[in-house]
Amino acid sequence: MVIQQHTIATTQKYNFPHPTTDTTLPQRLVQLSLQTLTHTIPNTPIQLNQQVGNIEPNTLQLNPQPIMLKPKYEPTIVAAVDTSNIKFAETATGILIAVRGANVWKQNHNYHYMRFGPLIFHITEENKKQLYETMQKAYLNTLHLQSTPTLQQMPTRIANLLEKWLQNMLTKTITNGLILFDGSLTSGTPDTPITLMRETLQTARKHASAVLAFSKMTTLRFNGHLITDIHPEYSPPYMLETTGLRFKPPITLFGDIYVARLTKGNYAFRLDIDKEINPPQRIQAVEKLLTNDIISQSYPETLRLAHILCTFTANEVIAMQHFAQRKHGLKIVNRPDMHRLLFGSFGKGEQSA
Amino acid sequence: MKLYKKEGNVIQILSFPNETVEKGDYLLIEDTEAAKSLIAQVIDVQFASIPGILEELLRSLPDGGQPIQGEDFDPLEIAPHITYIQDASLLVCKIRATLENDNLNPSTSWLPSRSQSTIQKLPIPALTKLAKTDEKLPIQLGVTKDNSLLAIDASSLDGRLNIITGKKETGKSHLSKLLMLNLTSYKATVVVFDLNGEYQSLGMTQDGKRNAYHDKIHVLTPSQNFKAALKQLNLHVLLEILIHALHLPGTSAREFRRIWRSLKERDMLNLHELGEAIRNWHCNQHVRDALFSRYHALINSGFFTDNVAESTMLEESLFRAKEHGGAIIVNLRNTSSIDRQIVVEYMLAKLVELLTANRLKAIFLFAEEAHLYLRETYWDDIVTRMRHFGIFTTFVTNQPDTIRENIYRQADNIFLFNFTNEHDLEVVSRAARVDAETVKSIARDLPPHYCLTLGKVVRDFPMVVKVKALDVKTMGETRLFFKDIN
Repeated sequence: MVIQQHTIATTQKYNFPHPTTDTTLPQRLVQLSLQTLTHTIPNTPIQLNQQVGNIEPNTLQLNPQPIMLKPKYEPTIVAAVDTSNIKFAETATGILIAVRGANVWKQNHNYHYMRFGPLIFHITEENKKQLYETMQKAYLNTLHLQSTPTLQQMPTRIANLLEKWLQNMLTKTITNGLILFDGSLTSGTPDTPITLMRETLQTARKHASAVLAFSKMTTLRFNGHLITDIHPEYSPPYMLETTGLRFKPPITLFGDIYVARLTKGNYAFRLDIDKEINPPQRIQAVEKLLTNDIISQSYPETLRLAHILCTFTANEVIAMQHFAQRKHGLKIVNRPDMHRLLFGSFGKGEQSA
Repeated sequence: MKLYKKEGNVIQILSFPNETVEKGDYLLIEDTEAAKSLIAQVIDVQFASIPGILEELLRSLPDGGQPIQGEDFDPLEIAPHITYIQDASLLVCKIRATLENDNLNPSTSWLPSRSQSTIQKLPIPALTKLAKTDEKLPIQLGVTKDNSLLAIDASSLDGRLNIITGKKETGKSHLSKLLMLNLTSYKATVVVFDLNGEYQSLGMTQDGKRNAYHDKIHVLTPSQNFKAALKQLNLHVLLEILIHALHLPGTSAREFRRIWRSLKERDMLNLHELGEAIRNWHCNQHVRDALFSRYHALINSGFFTDNVAESTMLEESLFRAKEHGGAIIVNLRNTSSIDRQIVVEYMLAKLVELLTANRLKAIFLFAEEAHLYLRETYWDDIVTRMRHFGIFTTFVTNQPDTIRENIYRQADNIFLFNFTNEHDLEVVSRAARVDAETVKSIARDLPPHYCLTLGKVVRDFPMVVKVKALDVKTMGETRLFFKDIN
């Protein structure tokens, strides 16, 4: 079996300083992608580990006194990462998935992006274990192998791998910047090992950058209300500080959690800021974000663009199906929707069953 | 290409970027199971409605309308597949015929298999071969978009009503010349009402030498080498002129008939005696005045003569053309509106007379901007009555609304050049031999000198052709003021 090698030049193309960075992830991902598309990886049994639940006990306190923010005019690079995944077809033996990641940065009033993907994987019950383990070993640097995800979980897991790598790249390449993550700074989950998150944040601090993680959704509640639904009568921009949140091990919080309401309107987001950064610097980081990025609906444009650029459109889904069929001769199976088949217009489809 | 949808006789086909299909092209949709094929013509090319296109476009312009700068690391090279899907087009086609056992029939009642049918471009030569458009007497019109020659059969113009229309400077007169010259080479008799004097030099090449048509072109200029002898005129011809061209009232026409008969009985039918007879005729003063004014109009036209020898040119030319084929060019340039009508009335009456007496076989009449000299009632006459005498007319106009709707409905062939004006296209689309969508969609995008040919000449397979050049002195160009400066 010959695996095609691709010449990859990634970080050199950034428009900012180029420290020595690990560029091997895309290379390995591409190899694995091609491998899954061209042949089936032999089945090697492995003991499954129980996944650790991400439980959030109701210990959270919300300081009703807001931290008022004043826009701080200091030119700073704002960079953001997001990834996206999609299962775009089924074959007789498995599923075809695609992942794509995007780094977006704003520098000198202009937005730039670097997109990685789409990387397509043909995941079967036979190859998923080996595929996932290979990635974990190579990139998450985990000593304990996590349990192999189900076929349905695989797209998210592979996309997470790519996202973690992209985040890592940004922290290594940006100095004195603001790095925006999509999600939280929680680790200890199957796809976010503590060591990796610690290393990522340490690298950012080493380069004098601040990591801010915006969550579009949160389940955290205070007095029975979602923390993002609490709007004290103050004029934005401001942040509300939370305290007392504890997770069961091995879940670890690497950030302090805030509720950020950066513009007028009813939008607020959970914002995790690296807890190793001292509080005045955290506030300063958000204040710099207010002037260095467009903030609309309390959400930074750079992060929004990262999301938009990596999301798959219907057109791309058709193109990827076309690619899989034409280039790799994969036969896509159109499975009938049993709900529709049995219940006609009363069947709402498999997803909402 | 893939069959997508069929509604009535409109079929929609999905086409991909590597398949170059344009408006006007023909497609063969072959269903091997059914052993039949559909022949469809592309009348519109649209973007295929691909889901997610709007999102694709929006995300490429998120930064205040400026495209966002960036690079894509696409190791699997999916991007070409994305653009391949994005650039897919939808071909809206009209079904023209069904092909079964090498026979064409206009039936569209069957449905080819969507999954099994194969679709390919049908080259024009293959189509013309199937449709047998150039069987006996081919006239080369020009080249089609795929650079194949398109010929029509001259006999498909025989007995037909044709219209050549299009906006200014698109090549109408050029095509008209091409058709009439080719007809003369098949020994046909052609009469042209040449409004701008642009047909007179067709017997010469562009560099002023005699060409193959030189002896077949007979230019008749009214009041110069084309005159009518009063003695040879039939009363009804003169009355037609007086009533229709010179608007003589009925009472006066009655008196004129009496004068004419009186002079004829006395064998005194000449211009001088006619004037004297009107002067001395016992009738109402108003009638006399009316007759006198018309008499002077006839005299002033210079078209009428007492010398029979001066009036033989028309018949001579017609009979020569009957023997060897030829074109009688009636040069109406520098002729006043009234004189033009007098000449045309005379000419048509004379032709009918000769055809009725079987002295001529049949003639092809080319009428440029006929609304400028043809009276209202003649339109129906030409289409219905004169057709039976053997006058087969081709109207040439850049104002399609000057031709009546019933003429379009009865037109057998339409040679349509570019029109951008909706109103003009609307008028032409009333023609019975083609659907309005085809006319509106294809004619709007025709480049100059490209003609959409409709009707019997192409066996009802509308075809776009670039009309071939002629090595003749056309004299149809616009005289420009700033010509020397450029």
